[in-house]
Amino acid sequence: MAISRRAFGLGLLGLGVAGTGGYLALRDRPELQGLLGNRTELFGFIGGEKEAFLADPDVARVVDGYGLELDVRVAGSVEMVREPALLSQNPQFLWPSSSIMVDMARQNGIKIRRDDVVLNSPIVVYTWGPVVAGLIKTGLVTSTMEGIQQLDLKALLDAILEGADWSALGVDALYGRSRIVSTDPSRSNSGFMFAGLVLSLLSGDVPNATALTEFGDKAQAIFRNMGLKSSSSGKLFEQYLAGGLGAAPMIVGYENQLVEWILADPQRWARIQASTSAHPAVLYPRPTVFSAHPLITIDPAADRLLEALTTPKLQELAWTRHGFRGPLGTVTGSVESAVGGLLPAEISSVLPMPAADVMLSLVSKVSA
Amino acid sequence: MPVLRALGVVVVALAALALAACDRESAKSFSFVAGSENTVLQPIVEAFCKQRNTTCTFSYEGSLDIGLALQSADGVAADAVWPASSVWIDLFDTGRKVKDLTSIAQMPVILGVRKSKAEELGWIGKDVLMADILAAVQQKRLSFLMTSATQSNSGASAYLAMLSSALGGKTVIEPGDLDDSTVRGTVQALLQGVTRSSGSSGWLADLYVEAAKSGSGYDAMWNYEAVLKETNDKLKPLNQEPLYAIYPADGVAVADSPLGFIDRGTGPETEKFFTELVAYLQSAEVQKQIAATGRRLPFSSDAIAATPEPDWNFDPTRIVTAIRLPEPAVIRQALDLYQVALRKPSLSALCLDFSGSMQGEGEQQLQAAMRFLLTPEQASQVLVQWSPEDRIIVLPFDGRVRSGFEATGDAEAQAALLAEVANEQADGGTDMYSCAADALTRIAAAPDRDDHLPAILILTDGRSEGDALGFLEQWRRIEPHVPVFGITFGDADKTQLDTLAAATSARVFDGRGDLAGAFRAARGYN
Repeated sequence: MAISRRAFGLGLLGLGVAGTGGYLALRDRPELQGLLGNRTELFGFIGGEKEAFLADPDVARVVDGYGLELDVRVAGSVEMVREPALLSQNPQFLWPSSSIMVDMARQNGIKIRRDDVVLNSPIVVYTWGPVVAGLIKTGLVTSTMEGIQQLDLKALLDAILEGADWSALGVDALYGRSRIVSTDPSRSNSGFMFAGLVLSLLSGDVPNATALTEFGDKAQAIFRNMGLKSSSSGKLFEQYLAGGLGAAPMIVGYENQLVEWILADPQRWARIQASTSAHPAVLYPRPTVFSAHPLITIDPAADRLLEALTTPKLQELAWTRHGFRGPLGTVTGSVESAVGGLLPAEISSVLPMPAADVMLSLVSKVSA
Repeated sequence: MPVLRALGVVVVALAALALAACDRESAKSFSFVAGSENTVLQPIVEAFCKQRNTTCTFSYEGSLDIGLALQSADGVAADAVWPASSVWIDLFDTGRKVKDLTSIAQMPVILGVRKSKAEELGWIGKDVLMADILAAVQQKRLSFLMTSATQSNSGASAYLAMLSSALGGKTVIEPGDLDDSTVRGTVQALLQGVTRSSGSSGWLADLYVEAAKSGSGYDAMWNYEAVLKETNDKLKPLNQEPLYAIYPADGVAVADSPLGFIDRGTGPETEKFFTELVAYLQSAEVQKQIAATGRRLPFSSDAIAATPEPDWNFDPTRIVTAIRLPEPAVIRQALDLYQVALRKPSLSALCLDFSGSMQGEGEQQLQAAMRFLLTPEQASQVLVQWSPEDRIIVLPFDGRVRSGFEATGDAEAQAALLAEVANEQADGGTDMYSCAADALTRIAAAPDRDDHLPAILILTDGRSEGDALGFLEQWRRIEPHVPVFGITFGDADKTQLDTLAAATSARVFDGRGDLAGAFRAARGYN
């Protein structure tokens, strides 16, 4: 909030702050740079799924302590690393949602200083209670010891490719063909990641160019089946919640989206749990892929942001308030503190993403 | 560190002051452009405006109008758009002018069938498929009102559900599917069921109620589930039977009623007003009010949803099977296909005022409007192009009907028609009634008029000689009745056109600001 920062400055002035000794002690403490009045404005692009995290007042306070004033604009991960209209605005940092974007940024001639994964979130499937119940009956969904529901995504994709009706999958509440919808892979990262996961599952391995030739048509069929695809993960998640079981039976998203939504209004979640309407449910595809969130710094000043984001304090806020896992996919802080029991402590089966060039060909194939 | 803590206190105090100042700064005015189905929600929004001391203005437009405005260089002349479905924003907001788009409610587009008709068709308490609707249309046992698929979202939704069903259980319409002749044939046959069309879902519902009142009722209407509830709430006190809700079991399109902000640089308080309005609309109390209108809300279980009304099969908590909407390019292709090939063709008579008062600018504007209407490249930009199956009659008039030109909607025939019109020069008196009578005679004599949607469209700029009595007498004798639309121009006496429109279940469009736009709007009703 610009106002409070200005107020902060006034406060400093009014009290005529710390003497020289204090200044020297503070100078080498990056988290206290803000107190010295060393304000640095940083401009960069971020994926929309991290907007709420950066807007969190407690997160903003820590970032503020580092003397940083962020001017962030939301852009799709793919477009922020290759769209001239965005790059010509000279961002000082980029925070896309996939490690592949680092390669793509480099290929596009972006002068990268550092690129470190700050957060992680696995790709999950959001659906509704009655769908889960049906898929358990037909063996597509199984529960782990911790009560986490895992989806045999390969079997689901095969069923969709065969044109199986919902009823054939055990879901009697829905009429017509089964389907799963992701965002537009050419614009948004979750759809992009899902495309990689689909091709990996269809080919049975981390795919290369040959696999794309062999299984590209099937991957294309999965995406064509989706029809109108949303341009952002946030929008798709909202469409899922608003549309409900009938209009949005199954979508692809990030693990942290439901967490954030629940924590934004815990009472609403309690009401839904107690109500008779279909409940939102999260399925973990087995295997899945991790959406890593690498911070790419371009301007030296942005390095300080990287330091701030990797502090235990922000890592804990990322998990407990926003459902993001840390750089290695593990959690900082209590597992229970995010949303008790809903999320697994660890994601056991994770595939690497195909290489950047394979992904680019795949995206143009499935968008055709 | 005590110093730091003290600092913190000062910061908090100052921030609080700043916030308090902020709260007093509320937007002075805020404007909406919305789909007609949202009229019923206006009082709910106005209650919020009143709380904030903000003057709110509302204008209602068809989905296509909202889309075209978004696409135009000038953009939308409002602070918020609220179309029926986000599809129109996906299709037209290429410059990403809409921000923070939020779905306010879900509204499936379904078929309401007059209850006795539904009984006659054996549809009470049954799963009805689109194929059953098709059979009833083909046996001439059912006809319906439906808005134009290219001008209004409810018509587009019904049309896309028809296409999806005709594809036979495919998940989504893909590029190439629209070339399938069986699919085309099925949908064309379904659309033969259209007995009246319009550019507005709200207007169509009013037409249904008015007709029911006068005893010349219609069989059925495609519209939003919530609009059917509104309609039935109006029919009940009139002792009219309700529209029975048919949810085609193979899938319907669901409108998501999205509210989005348009940043016109009027300052942060305008955007703040918008953000707070959305929060207000999502508050539990207001959600209840919105649900009471028959709209579906997220997680609207028992506690929030409107009470089910089994006598007309209404239950907003019942799951409806939704069709998956196709990619924007496919939707655009489907809408073109509707306009040029699949819709029920029109039989339109245009009475054009070439009286002396039209000389100069009026005449030039009329000629320009005709060039727009009869040039396929121009008309197709806004999806009102003619199809070769359409029949167009042009009747220039002054104190009498000068001569009549008839043509099909074929491109060459249109060009020939345009050349004839170009020769007309303004001169003489004004008698629109004799032109309307001539138009009616020609429509009645048309050999294939049963397969066409007939309409008379009168453009006039002045006060007409004669009166409506003689014409209306002739009009009553000709079935099916032909609606007489009006377009006002210059210092036209609107009351004369209003009388004709009211008597013939039509409406009058204002052509003074944008004559071509008025012709386009009127085409959406035919």
